[in-house]
Amino acid sequence: MVIEIPKRVEDLPTSNPRWVGHRVERKEDSALLTGRTQFIADVVVPGMLHCAILRSPLPHARIAKLDTTDAAALPGVVAVVTGEDALRWSQPAASAPEGWGTHCLASSVVRYVGEPVAAVAATSRYVAEDALERIVVDYDPLDAVADPFAAMEAGSPLVIEEKGTNVMMQRLFTWGAVDDAFAQAAHVFTEKFRWNRLGANPMETFGAVCEWDPMSLDLTVYGSIQAASFFALGRAATFGIPSNKVNVKSQPHGGSFGGKGGTRGTDITCLLSRKAGGRPVKWIEDRMEYLTSGGSQAWDRHYEASLAVDAKAQVTGLRVKLVDDLGATGEGYAAISAAKPLAAFTGPYTIPVAEYDLTLVATNKLPAFPYRGFGPPPHFFVLEQMMDIAARHLDIDPAEFRRRNFIASDQFPYTIPSGNEYDSGSYEEVLDKALALADYADLRAQQARAREEGRIVGIGVASAIEPGVFDWNAYRTVGVPGIGVPEGATVSIDILGMITVRVGFSLEGQGQYTLASQLVADYFGTHIDAVRVVQLDTQSSPPSFGPGGSRLGVAITGAVLGACERIRQKMCAVTAALMQTEPSNVQLRDGKFTVEGMPGVEMSVAEVAGTMLARSDLLPPGIDPRPEATHVWTAAGRTEPDEQGRAKSYLTAAQAVHVVMVEIDRDTGVVEILKYCLADDCGTRLNPLVVQGQTEGSVAQGIGAALFEEYVYDEDAQPLTATFMDYLIPTINEIPPTEKAEVVTPSPFTPLGAKGCGEGAIHTTPAAVMCAVNDALAPLETMAREVPAAPSRIWNLIRSTQS
Amino acid sequence: MTTTLPVRLTVNGVQHVAHVEPRTTLADFLRAELQLTGTHVGCEHGVCGICTVLVNDRAVRSCLMLAVQADGANLMTVEGLAGPDGKLHPIQQAFVEEHGLQCGFCTPGFLIAIYELLENNPSPSESEILDVLGGQICRCTGYQSILRAVHSAAAKLGATGSGTAQESA
Repeated sequence: MVIEIPKRVEDLPTSNPRWVGHRVERKEDSALLTGRTQFIADVVVPGMLHCAILRSPLPHARIAKLDTTDAAALPGVVAVVTGEDALRWSQPAASAPEGWGTHCLASSVVRYVGEPVAAVAATSRYVAEDALERIVVDYDPLDAVADPFAAMEAGSPLVIEEKGTNVMMQRLFTWGAVDDAFAQAAHVFTEKFRWNRLGANPMETFGAVCEWDPMSLDLTVYGSIQAASFFALGRAATFGIPSNKVNVKSQPHGGSFGGKGGTRGTDITCLLSRKAGGRPVKWIEDRMEYLTSGGSQAWDRHYEASLAVDAKAQVTGLRVKLVDDLGATGEGYAAISAAKPLAAFTGPYTIPVAEYDLTLVATNKLPAFPYRGFGPPPHFFVLEQMMDIAARHLDIDPAEFRRRNFIASDQFPYTIPSGNEYDSGSYEEVLDKALALADYADLRAQQARAREEGRIVGIGVASAIEPGVFDWNAYRTVGVPGIGVPEGATVSIDILGMITVRVGFSLEGQGQYTLASQLVADYFGTHIDAVRVVQLDTQSSPPSFGPGGSRLGVAITGAVLGACERIRQKMCAVTAALMQTEPSNVQLRDGKFTVEGMPGVEMSVAEVAGTMLARSDLLPPGIDPRPEATHVWTAAGRTEPDEQGRAKSYLTAAQAVHVVMVEIDRDTGVVEILKYCLADDCGTRLNPLVVQGQTEGSVAQGIGAALFEEYVYDEDAQPLTATFMDYLIPTINEIPPTEKAEVVTPSPFTPLGAKGCGEGAIHTTPAAVMCAVNDALAPLETMAREVPAAPSRIWNLIRSTQS
Repeated sequence: MTTTLPVRLTVNGVQHVAHVEPRTTLADFLRAELQLTGTHVGCEHGVCGICTVLVNDRAVRSCLMLAVQADGANLMTVEGLAGPDGKLHPIQQAFVEEHGLQCGFCTPGFLIAIYELLENNPSPSESEILDVLGGQICRCTGYQSILRAVHSAAAKLGATGSGTAQESA
C-alpha cells in the first residue's frame, strides 16, 4: 500500500474545503469554559493519598542525619520515603548529557536548594505538610558554586563529585573556513551578552497521580505530562520494570511551554505509592515549589559573539561562544536547548561560515528545563544585536542591512553552515510587509521628532527563524540518541458514517483536536461535528510524542491524513468490488465514491462504511473489513550528525520580521512599548485562529523575557525568586496590541505545506525589543547587553553616560 | 483530634452544609469538599487571580480566603455561569468566538472577574476593563483575544441598552 499524503490543501479529495484553512472555533472550548475539563489536580482516584515533599534549604550539603520517625507517627500519614527508598527501587534520572542525572531523592548529598530529601503520603496535603515539619534533618554545609565561570576553575566545589569536573560538555563546532573569513573581513564586531534565567511558568503547575502495585509492579501514572509514550518508557527504565507494565494517561495541561516532562515529582510519588501498599498517591506541585524547585528555569547564559562583514556590507562569518549554566544535573534535558541553535544558527541570513564554542556547566542551582523555543530565542537575541551593531557602525538602516543579507527566495531549500536545511521562505516579502504595516519611514520621523524633544525612543527591526517539526537526530551532539519522532493516529468510521480519531496526546492549548477534526471532516466530506477525537493512554494508543518543538500541527496532519488515505484505498477497493470494476476507476470526492465510466453511480462514505461493517459477505476476499486505519508519521530524510554536528534536523523553517518602537523613561529606566508590528510566514495556516493565538501568546512571553522575567540567585546559590511578586509574568497592562500581516510560503516537504508555528514569536520578540532598546540608547553611546532589560539596569546604563 | 467548624453556604444556588478545619482555604473547600473543580489554583498567594470566585457578588481570590469565612455567604463559581441546559453564558460564548482561551486553566478566573465587571458596569471604558483584566494572569493568549472577548460579551449583553445583564435563556 503506497500512502501519498496530500502536499497541498488543493490535493484533499474535496472541491471546497469547509474547515481546513478556515478560522474554526475549537471543540475543546465548551468543556474548558464550563470548568468540566479534568486537569490533573481534578483527578480523584478511590483510596488516593496526598504527597508533600521535603526539600533541601541548602545548595550543597551532606545529609548528616535524617529521622522520619515522628513524621511517620502522625495520624493520617500512611508512608514516608527517603533517599534509601530511591536507591533501593530506582535508577538515577536519565539526562543530557548522559551520566549527569541523580536519584529522585537525595541520599547523602544535596546539590541545589529545593532538592527533595524526603516525602510523605497522607490523607490530605495539609496533613502531609504537617508531617514534613516533623522530619528531622541535619545538614553539614559544603561550599556551593553559583557561577559557571567559578565552577570551571580548578579547585571549585564539584556539584557531582564522582564526575571530577563541573563541565558537562565542551565542544567547538567549526563550519567552514571561519578563521579566514574573520582575517579577511573589512570589519569585525565583537560583543558580550548576558541572558538571565527565566522559564515556562504555565498557569498550571506539574502534577501526577501514581499507582504502583508492589506485587505485580504494574505502574499507572496520571499527570500533566508531555510526551506520554516517552515518559512511560522512562519510568520503566528508571524503575527497572518491563515497559508493558507501565501505563501513562496524560490529562489536558494547563499550559506547558516545555516544562511538563519533569520526572522527579512523579518518581517520588511512585515510590510513595509502592511504600503505601500500592495505594494511589497524588502530588500537585505548588507555585513556590515550581518556581524554586520545578521545571521552571532555562537559558542561564553568557555569550560572546563576533560578526565578520565585508566591504560590501555582506556578513561573511559568525562566531558564537556560549557558557550555559545548566544547574546541578542534566535531568531537564536543557543541554538540547544549547544544541538546538544548530538548526538555525545563522538565522535568515546567507552567512557562509560559522563557529560555535559551547560549554555546558553544572552549578548548585536548579537543573534547567526546556522553555518555549528551546534554545534559539537567546541565540537570536545575540545575532540580531550583532547585526544592529554592524549596521550602526556602517551607517546602514538595520532593515536594509538585513535585506541585503537575507537568503533569497530562489535559494531554497537552503542548507545553512551548521547543516540543517531550510525548506522554503520569502524573507524579503515578509520584511516589506512588516515595514509597510509599521509605516517604517513615519516611525523614524516620529523618532527624530521625539529625540529633538529629549525623549529616548528606539525602533527595532529583527528577524528570526522558527525551526519546526523537531527530530532527535541533531541532539546526538549532546548525548541524546535516536532518529524519528513518531506521531500516530487511528481514524475509524462507524456504521452511520460518524468518525472517531484516536490519538495519544492530551491538549495543552494549541487546538490539535480541532485540527484533526477539520482534516477528517474535509477529507471525507462531512461536518466537523461528525468527528470526535478521543485520547488513549499509552498502553492503548499509537506511538505519540504530542506537542513539542513546533511539530504537532504538521505531525498530526501527516498521521491523520495518512490514516484517511489508507481508509480511502480500502473503501475504493470495496466500492470497486461492489461495482465490479477496478479500484483505479473509483475515486473519492466530496464525501462520495464515484466510478469512472458509470455516471450516476455513487456511494457515500457512510454507505461504504456500513457495507464493510454489516455486509462482510459482499466484500472481496482478503480485504480488511474495517473502515479504520492507523498511520504513524515522522519526518523523512533526517540524517545522522557528522563530525561537526551537521544534520538535517528540523524539517521546516518559519520566518518573521518584527518592528517595535519603544520609549525609555530617563528617570526610571522603564521601557514602554509604543508600537508592535509583525509579519510572519509559517506556510499553510491550517487554522488561522489558532495560529493567531500562538503568535499573540508568544509575543507576550517574548516581552516578558525581554523586560520582566528573571530568576535571581544570590552568590551562595540561594534562589531569591519564590513567588509571582518576584517573578514578573506580564499582565495585560504590559502587553501592547500587535498589528499583524502574513505571508504564506508553503513547505514543499510537509503535509498540506504547513510549517511548525507553535513556538512562534518567542524566537523574534526578545531580539526585536532589545534591538529597539539599543536603538533608543545608541545616541547616549551605551548599550543594553543583559536580558531582561529591567528598569534598574537601564537606569544604571543611562546614569553611567551622565558625567 | 482536629477541630472543625460548621460552614453553611450557597454555591451556584445550591445550599451546602459542611464541617471544615479552620485552615482550609475556600479554594480547597470548593474543589475537594464540593467537587467544584472548575475553580483552579495557580499560585496560592493571591497574584494570578485564577482562583477568583464571587462571594456575595464580589470577586474574591478564594486561595486567600478561608472556607469558614464564607459561612452564610452566597457564592458563584464558573460552574454557575452556563444555563442549566448547558447553554453557554454570553461571556463564555464570546470567549469561544474570539479564541479567548488556549489551555483554559486561567479561564474560570477571568470569566468570574468579567462577569462581576459587566454585572456592575455594562458599558465599561477601556481603562476599566484593563483594570479588571490586569488582576488576572494568562500565560497562553497574550491577552488580546481576551480583551476582544470582553468587548464582544459587553455587546452581547446589551451594553448600549439596559442596565442589567440579560439571562442566558
